[in-house]
Amino acid sequence: MKKISKAVFAVIYLFLYAPLLVMIVFSFNSGRSTSVFEGISGRWYTTLFSNSNLMICFKNSLILAVVSALIATAFGTLAAFGIYKLRNKYVSGAMSAVNSIPMMNPDIVTGVSMMLLFVFAGGILHTVNKVGFITLLIAHITFNIPYVILNVLPKLRSSDRSLYDAARDLGCTGSKAFFKAIVPQIMPGILSGLLMAFTLSCDDFVISYYTSGPDFVTLPVYIYSLVKKTIKPDIYALYSIVFVFILLLLIVYNLLQTDSKDKKAKKSKSYTATKITAIVLSLVMVAGVSLGVIFRKESDNTLSKLKGDYSVEANPFLKYSNITLNVYNWGEYISDGADGTLDVIAAFEDLTGIKVNYMTYESNEVMYSKIKSDSVSYDVIIPSDYMIERMKNENMLREIDMSKITNYSNIEDRYKGLYYDPDEKYCVPYNVGMVGIIYNSSIVEGEPDSWELMWDERYKGEILNFNNARDGIASAQFALGLDINSENKADWDKAADKLIEQKSVLQGYVMDEIFNKMGSANAAIAPYYAGDFLTMYEANNDLKFYYPKEGTNIFVDAICIPECCQNYEAALLFINFMLEEEVAVANAEYICYATPNSAARNNAEYQEYMAELHEDWEYILYGALDSDDIFTEYYHDLPIEIRSYYETLWKKVKSF
Amino acid sequence: MKKHSSKTTALLNAPYALWSAVFIIVPLFFVAYYSFFRDGSFTLEYIGKFTEKNNLSAFWLSVVLSVLATVISLVIAYPFSYFLSRLTPSSQKIQMVLIMLPMWMNMLVRTYSWSNILETNGIVNKILSLFGIAPLTMLGSKGAVVLGMVYNYLPYMILPIYTAMTKIDKPLLDAADDLGCTPWEKLKRVIMPLSVPGVISGIIMVFVPSISTFYISQRMSNGNIVLIGDVIETQIKEYYADGGLNVGAAMSFVLMVIILICTFIMNKFSDEDNGGMVV
Repeated sequence: MKKISKAVFAVIYLFLYAPLLVMIVFSFNSGRSTSVFEGISGRWYTTLFSNSNLMICFKNSLILAVVSALIATAFGTLAAFGIYKLRNKYVSGAMSAVNSIPMMNPDIVTGVSMMLLFVFAGGILHTVNKVGFITLLIAHITFNIPYVILNVLPKLRSSDRSLYDAARDLGCTGSKAFFKAIVPQIMPGILSGLLMAFTLSCDDFVISYYTSGPDFVTLPVYIYSLVKKTIKPDIYALYSIVFVFILLLLIVYNLLQTDSKDKKAKKSKSYTATKITAIVLSLVMVAGVSLGVIFRKESDNTLSKLKGDYSVEANPFLKYSNITLNVYNWGEYISDGADGTLDVIAAFEDLTGIKVNYMTYESNEVMYSKIKSDSVSYDVIIPSDYMIERMKNENMLREIDMSKITNYSNIEDRYKGLYYDPDEKYCVPYNVGMVGIIYNSSIVEGEPDSWELMWDERYKGEILNFNNARDGIASAQFALGLDINSENKADWDKAADKLIEQKSVLQGYVMDEIFNKMGSANAAIAPYYAGDFLTMYEANNDLKFYYPKEGTNIFVDAICIPECCQNYEAALLFINFMLEEEVAVANAEYICYATPNSAARNNAEYQEYMAELHEDWEYILYGALDSDDIFTEYYHDLPIEIRSYYETLWKKVKSF
Repeated sequence: MKKHSSKTTALLNAPYALWSAVFIIVPLFFVAYYSFFRDGSFTLEYIGKFTEKNNLSAFWLSVVLSVLATVISLVIAYPFSYFLSRLTPSSQKIQMVLIMLPMWMNMLVRTYSWSNILETNGIVNKILSLFGIAPLTMLGSKGAVVLGMVYNYLPYMILPIYTAMTKIDKPLLDAADDLGCTPWEKLKRVIMPLSVPGVISGIIMVFVPSISTFYISQRMSNGNIVLIGDVIETQIKEYYADGGLNVGAAMSFVLMVIILICTFIMNKFSDEDNGGMVV
């Protein structure tokens, strides 16, 4: 029996801890992949300690978990006591039923329903940001309380009531009797309720996603917005430190207990084993943290070549302190100070004294939905071309006072006045890019040049496609020579049929997974954005890239000011700052997409940096932009019938 | 005296009653409103979307996979909880924390890590190749999604079953021994019937998050499997203004009603006092 028990424990713990072990191993990876181990290095620990954004999110998560768990435990214990004292069966039944709703309801229903409430309440109270720290805290407290009650109530029921009555008889007030006679009896229940609440708060992501705003971004929400760009091992490093730290606490606690109880146990094998584990773990952790702190490259945020004027004299509004700017950008889409790069947000804050709340999204549609939901007012957003067209048509964008954007001359003329903004009033280009096909030259034979490679039977199971309706369907539209902006439903049907035909050779529909899959040769063919190819190439030098001969999608992501903006002047200042040569260089090097900023593109340091990444960088990033040989097409905003039509088709294709 | 105490009871219950009315009940009315009303007028259009072929098949697949995940979790968690409840109290405490500990690293990261483990060139296949077994395609299959569900929600199965087992009176088990029960009979006649409430809580707590998940299916299926949670999430997140909020709310509403009915039926099987999850 004992052997069976030990075997069961071993298997379960291996299962529960396998992903954490993998996480720790890859946190020491020298490459940026989380699936190919290239060599041991402390690189990600140094990156971690210089990535201020990640650290802020982590701090926020911790604060939220601790505060919400404490409040929920106190509140829940009182509520449990109340329910316990109820004599009326129906009332107590009703209380228990309501209490179980957050546990029975899917997280997504809880999250969305609370968001609707907060938006509604915010509308009545005329608050600008209807979701934020307070609503997030309320949501976490709400879903934590039922678990606290669930832990405390049974302890109350089995507690000795006569003690409470005795305390009352001896003259204690109700609350005093509660704390003196009841609380000590139910303490184990309260503690496990606290533990449970803390755990659930740490683990939650769905409810936080819908109830949080830019003033308080938690780690899970940040991680989820990386869907286009992939999780880097610095997040693994962060969690590894947390994990080892908690494990150490546990071991120390365990050792202390054994120490005080049993002298003989000290000599036992398991005692020595735990002691050795504790020492090894502490060493690993101390090594990791100190490596990180010692070798952390402080990002140098002093800028020497600024052209714009960020002084208080030129911008009288800066006299007012407490200006907060809500910036809503794509995940991993700004230089963040990792590895000694420029921390753009911090540099802007240092320069102007404006506080920036930075929040990230994973697709144009998500950003658009968030703004439409009216839950938060953003000051600066970065949509793509077709989304700018839609938002402009729906009067969701504010005109940009170009006279204040003195660095607008840095932008190349060919990216100005495009179809979505012919009068150059609503946006300032930030990044440009094209979709191309990436393939593994050690698997794919010859020199492919067409979209048809994604339908090639020879590479069955090696082919990936985009996991979003518009890009996924566009791959079939280009292959068939159809218009990607067609308003004819039959065209979309044809593309959907072509995608269904692809399913027999397709490995899957993915986004950020492409980085790992292509990097570790788990897939051989995938369409993605040219700039991201350079990142993948770093992990796997067998990868090659081409622009398909049938033509491909081109996009411009541009900085806009939404109608809900609260700090127009600060937003203008921020936009101008983003166009500064040094800032644009830092961003272009970090993001690896083509920059429309001519000052940055002609910068010698930038060219050198890119040449180190890939010898053909100019062709990959700019080739198709500079020459007319490759047919390129922008997405246009489509009418709602077509949008919902292709969405249904996409669902059909995916679950075919 | 009696009057006084009922007054304090009411006073004690008021804050949480108010809290749950505002933050639990009212939000559900919002979901119902968005499910049934368009610009203020009643409509069944959104609810009707649930019966569309794609959505219905997504729903059935979710049911099948989450039932499977629940059964597997139960099979794993039951013996584990039993052995756990036989340990010394201090090591039980440690084990409890060890089970919860992985959940402190957010589910997103752990699920992500699993997807790397199961890759064609992942660790599992590397180990298999040592024994000369050809690489298996695991990631992208339904099995991988079920694994993700079991992994993420197993602790929710262990905790209530374990709690139920610790509540079983030791003298009762001794009595069974004294009366000549074999270990198997003891399990069948004493432990199993007494652990039913824990099992029921466990089933509910694994089934509910499994049936509504979207992150696990996205990660573990290479985007090949669409579950009802994915449908709701996509509608609300990406098509919010195009009526997606209403469609998403309507589907959530149907899902919620189905789950509430299921749990109601399940609870009929259990005793009244099934509370308590951890020691």
